[in-house]
Amino acid sequence: MFGKIFCNIIKSKRVLNERELEYKNPEEAAGGLVRREIIPASFRGSVRIRQVDAGSCNACEWECIALANPIYDVQRFGVDFVASPRHADIILVTGPVSWSMARALEKSWLAAAEPKIVIACGDCAADGGVFKGSYAVAGGADKIVPVAYKISGCPPSPADIIKGIRGALALLCGTHKGPEPK
Amino acid sequence: MTPRNIENYHRVQPGEFAARCAGIFHAGGKLRMMFAADERETDGRMNIYAVFSSIADHGSFDIITTAVEDEGGFRYQSITPRVPAAHWYEREMACMFGIVPEGHPDLRPLVLHGMYPEGVFPLRRDITAADVRSKVDLAKDDAYPYKTVEGEGVFEIPVGPVHAGIIEPGHFRFSAVGESIYFLDPRLFYTHKGVEKLFEQVGFERGIQIAERISGTSSFCHSTAYCLAVENMRGVEIPIRAKAVRTFLVELERLYNHIGDIGNLCAGTGFAAGYAGGAELKERLMALNHRLTGSRYLRGVNRLGGVSRDVLEDVESISAELSVVTDEFKAVMKFIMSSISHMERLEGPGFLSREAAVKLGATGIAARASGVNDDLRTAHPNLFYDRIIFEVHTRNRGDVLARMMLRADEAACSLAMLRSILRKAKPQKKELMAADAQQDARPADIGGGRQALGWVEGARGSIFYFVKAAADGKSPLRVKVRSASFCNWPLLPLAVLNDIVPDFPLINKSFNLSYSGCDM
Ligand code: SF4
Repeated sequence: MFGKIFCNIIKSKRVLNERELEYKNPEEAAGGLVRREIIPASFRGSVRIRQVDAGSCNACEWECIALANPIYDVQRFGVDFVASPRHADIILVTGPVSWSMARALEKSWLAAAEPKIVIACGDCAADGGVFKGSYAVAGGADKIVPVAYKISGCPPSPADIIKGIRGALALLCGTHKGPEPK
Repeated sequence: MTPRNIENYHRVQPGEFAARCAGIFHAGGKLRMMFAADERETDGRMNIYAVFSSIADHGSFDIITTAVEDEGGFRYQSITPRVPAAHWYEREMACMFGIVPEGHPDLRPLVLHGMYPEGVFPLRRDITAADVRSKVDLAKDDAYPYKTVEGEGVFEIPVGPVHAGIIEPGHFRFSAVGESIYFLDPRLFYTHKGVEKLFEQVGFERGIQIAERISGTSSFCHSTAYCLAVENMRGVEIPIRAKAVRTFLVELERLYNHIGDIGNLCAGTGFAAGYAGGAELKERLMALNHRLTGSRYLRGVNRLGGVSRDVLEDVESISAELSVVTDEFKAVMKFIMSSISHMERLEGPGFLSREAAVKLGATGIAARASGVNDDLRTAHPNLFYDRIIFEVHTRNRGDVLARMMLRADEAACSLAMLRSILRKAKPQKKELMAADAQQDARPADIGGGRQALGWVEGARGSIFYFVKAAADGKSPLRVKVRSASFCNWPLLPLAVLNDIVPDFPLINKSFNLSYSGCDM
């Protein structure tokens, strides 16, 4: 009996989310996560990301930009995008790594201070995506820099990216092993 | 109206090519694209094509083509001195095919950076992807000869390829005197992904996925132009309902881009509240995209012969959402335009003259905001556009403000079009969504070696595809992609002249060009 009521409540809430709050409710947008769940204690509540476009189609970037818009608003969680790799804890790579961006990506990685990790964001950065087999791409960020975590999707939605960042941080702090199954 | 009558191919002698092109261009025929195709395996020739909008016959194209002779290297007389709009196309051909345009004023390598091997031309048919890959040398220094300005008080500001914000990579070399930009030499093609070769590698069907990923926010327009080209080539007429769906989504893509761009301009002037308004409304449209197609970037709908499903079935809920968007859009525009400090910053910078826009072949917002009345939706109507009555908006100031206001005009126009398509195209029961494009794919039918154009007026401007089948008809011999940004990037150095360096991001945002779409 209790179980049933509980289910109903969840259900009605869902409908509401999809119909109206889909793009409005930040907690839901972030997959219902709250700050302490995203950022491990050892980071003292804040991580900084340097996003590097290594030949993406730009849809992955737009989803990262959306993270900072008033709807997703990741700054609430202590996550922010920074201009200099020197300020970054995470290098978030998008794109299949075009040859022309390979060195710039490597330099960005080298410029970041330890401890640091690389997240490959999107199918392209994970393994080249649809551009696999082209003469002009390395075919994945891990061909150039050590990738700690991959976020799949083409592009991954803003919520997927937040979850990915959480997964990567957890991995870094040793609180869980490897990417979550999708 | 079959596509075959619209595309008129004229083969001329190499010696006549430049004069013929110049004749059309100076009579007002717009150069839509220019490209080479290595057809040595079929007709023994390396051909170049220049596609113009016909002057005499409205709505059709004149395609001038000639063979380039191999006299110890492919060379022909450059048309750029007489047709300035051809300048990047000719540089591109030099990089990708090794066809040298003699007399071209700027022969620095355009597409391939220093790590690529010299003398290996990726788009030649006898070069494989593996040939190029195996010779790429990342350790090689990239010694690109930037144009420099010398003189007292002139200093250089190099920016990029990795920029401060979350944007695409490109290098900008400013020569500044004080705060004023004296000269700008941009270097692009950092995101070059070898897309045109990839089309040849993967075959017609999978080409759609690649077209969708040439430029993220133009996914739908690119895949539509690609599908139209292949369908035209195969002589496939797509079902009327599929046309309605495609037209609807093309306009929806324009709408979310324009609204997003108007919001982004606020980020360029530091007007956070205006930016937030634009971003929120754009997000609303992205959610609508997702609801309709399962993709926030409208991917996975197009297929050869039509669309994969009817995304407009739920007319009522879509209409309701569109009216909310219409109201909110008005409110956002009102709010943004009420900020005097914001509006003042937009007035003046980034001026592009009408003359420069015409000569350099500007397209889309960049052209229309400088008073050039050019829109493929009326110039070469396809899809549903011959059934929708609308007016092409233009503005004359040619500055950042003109480009913003034009976007607002066009967004309102798109909203009206979306509503009209919904009204007109009430779904019938079980309507056909896609013609069987496969049926026509038998080599006997398509007679291998057929060719056709596909085009769409996207949010950034005109998008063109040229597709030619190989002899067996199964795979493409050549797919040429011409995105709007490829035409408009060369305008930027002109538009920023004498403006101040801090205004550059704002001017850049007002054009909102795609790097990936240009670099491919
Ligand atoms: S993963 Fe998809 S969306 Fe991201 S850059 Fe690659 S093609 Fe674009």
